[in-house]
Amino acid sequence: MDLEVLIENVLNALAAGITIGCIYGLMCIGLGLIFGIMRIVNFAQGELLMLGMFASLYLVTGGGILAFLGPYIGPFVGALLAGPIVFAFGVLLHKFLIARVSGLRTTGSLDEGHFGQLVVTLGISLILQNGGLILFGSTPMTVRTPLASSAIEVGPIYGDATVFLNKARLIACAVAIVTAAGLYLLLEFTRMGKALRAAADNPTAATYMGIDTDKAYRIAFGLGSGITAIAGGLMATYLSFGPFVGLDYVIIMYSGVVLGGMGSILGAFWGGLTVGFVQQCSALVLPPQLQNAAIFVVFLMIVLLRPQGLFGRSAERA
Amino acid sequence: MLEITNLSVSYGGLRALTDVSLSVHEGQFVTVVGPNGAGKSTLFKTISGIVAPAGGQVTFLGENLLDLPPARRAHLGIAHVPEGRQVFKTLTVRENLEMGAYPKAGREAWHHTLDRIHTLFPILSERATQLAGTLSGGEQQMVAIGRGLACAPRLLMLDEPSMGLAPAVADTIFERVSQIHREDGVTILLVEQRVAEALELSDHGYVLETGRMVLDGPYEMLLQDDRVRKSYLGLS
Repeated sequence: MDLEVLIENVLNALAAGITIGCIYGLMCIGLGLIFGIMRIVNFAQGELLMLGMFASLYLVTGGGILAFLGPYIGPFVGALLAGPIVFAFGVLLHKFLIARVSGLRTTGSLDEGHFGQLVVTLGISLILQNGGLILFGSTPMTVRTPLASSAIEVGPIYGDATVFLNKARLIACAVAIVTAAGLYLLLEFTRMGKALRAAADNPTAATYMGIDTDKAYRIAFGLGSGITAIAGGLMATYLSFGPFVGLDYVIIMYSGVVLGGMGSILGAFWGGLTVGFVQQCSALVLPPQLQNAAIFVVFLMIVLLRPQGLFGRSAERA
Repeated sequence: MLEITNLSVSYGGLRALTDVSLSVHEGQFVTVVGPNGAGKSTLFKTISGIVAPAGGQVTFLGENLLDLPPARRAHLGIAHVPEGRQVFKTLTVRENLEMGAYPKAGREAWHHTLDRIHTLFPILSERATQLAGTLSGGEQQMVAIGRGLACAPRLLMLDEPSMGLAPAVADTIFERVSQIHREDGVTILLVEQRVAEALELSDHGYVLETGRMVLDGPYEMLLQDDRVRKSYLGLS
């Protein structure tokens, strides 16, 4: 009898870990592009996540233009559409602020522009948090879908032990995987994707090839913003959020990116997946307040044993 | 083809080039020699637009280069193989070459140039899927030159392609550069510290010292010049 409960708890934690992990993976890819590949320190990434959540919320609920899609499809289409909206926001942000402290302007300088980026993005983060408070208010919100309160039951697997797969999370997880795969293909195989990677690798040489690095960086920053926003929109279906939600997740994103290895999109995804997995599974043995502590224990262990990250390319440092 | 007149460049408050004039005609092989810090790389960076000049003119095929944003210049058919190779370390060898073919002319000629690059540097076809950062210095230089060729250039600018290479490897590189000039008819502007080899290949040479052009002339004339013989060739 006790064994059945144990098995049920473990299996459910594993299932939650994988589904939430995939969404975290997508979220981390956004930062992976900006921080891992372009080497821009972005403390406002959590707020881009928050913007994605609110963008989805306003698209889908009340009088939103996607309200007609209903509560089943709407929230997920809303999450995807939050991507282009925040992409545009990210492009503008880069054009007017980030570009001044990154890219060719700071290549070869003492700190590669990191100090400037730190101050600028921290400022942006504070403005977005408090601006969000004014615009959106402080009431916790969620993008309601009836799918969040229904589950697919798998089993019973052992005795009465059954795995419950939350439908909202399951769909969100699938959307996250497809989006991540799409971005991966875009970066890996299209001319634009290769040009973005080349510009991030060596902006001077990329200019010699005729690549407009300012534009490449702008697009990459926009993509990184949009991808995290899509993850935000997906999380909004099962999570209540407010303007300050970004604070909780920016740390998770940084640990995911570093865990997976800087400079690799796949790595960022696996990093995020690992973080989500550890967080959910730690719930089996730790009180919820210590879940994030568990993330950092695993994080420190991996950094100690494999400093280049799970998927880091050692050529990166050559 | 490339016409530089009275070019002056200041770099971090220091005068790097003073009144430099140089011209490269279609089909020529032109070499700029000079000691470290003479401003050779600065000259190239100014042509490519990474460094802005304080004065003077640079025209390419009649177009004023200084009016063009740096990234547009490659699209005119100027390939810059930079000092220290600067390959995209996190991209594969093939992707590096593809990036060289970023301009339209390069994309249109891609299949032809890729074959040509592989004929010149067979090792690159073996290493096609390897990350460029994992290659040896000589192989990276081959990637850098191949990447330059991939844009189907009208002018190929090479900045010290022999730097940091074993003598035998450097010889191969020189041979390939000469081949590119003779067989593909690409106009070449070369900056080198290995003066003897470089001048031997070229039609016309320039000597750059502390930011000034102190001498220029055809290969035979430079070889007769006492200063060149003493300072650069170690002959008396």
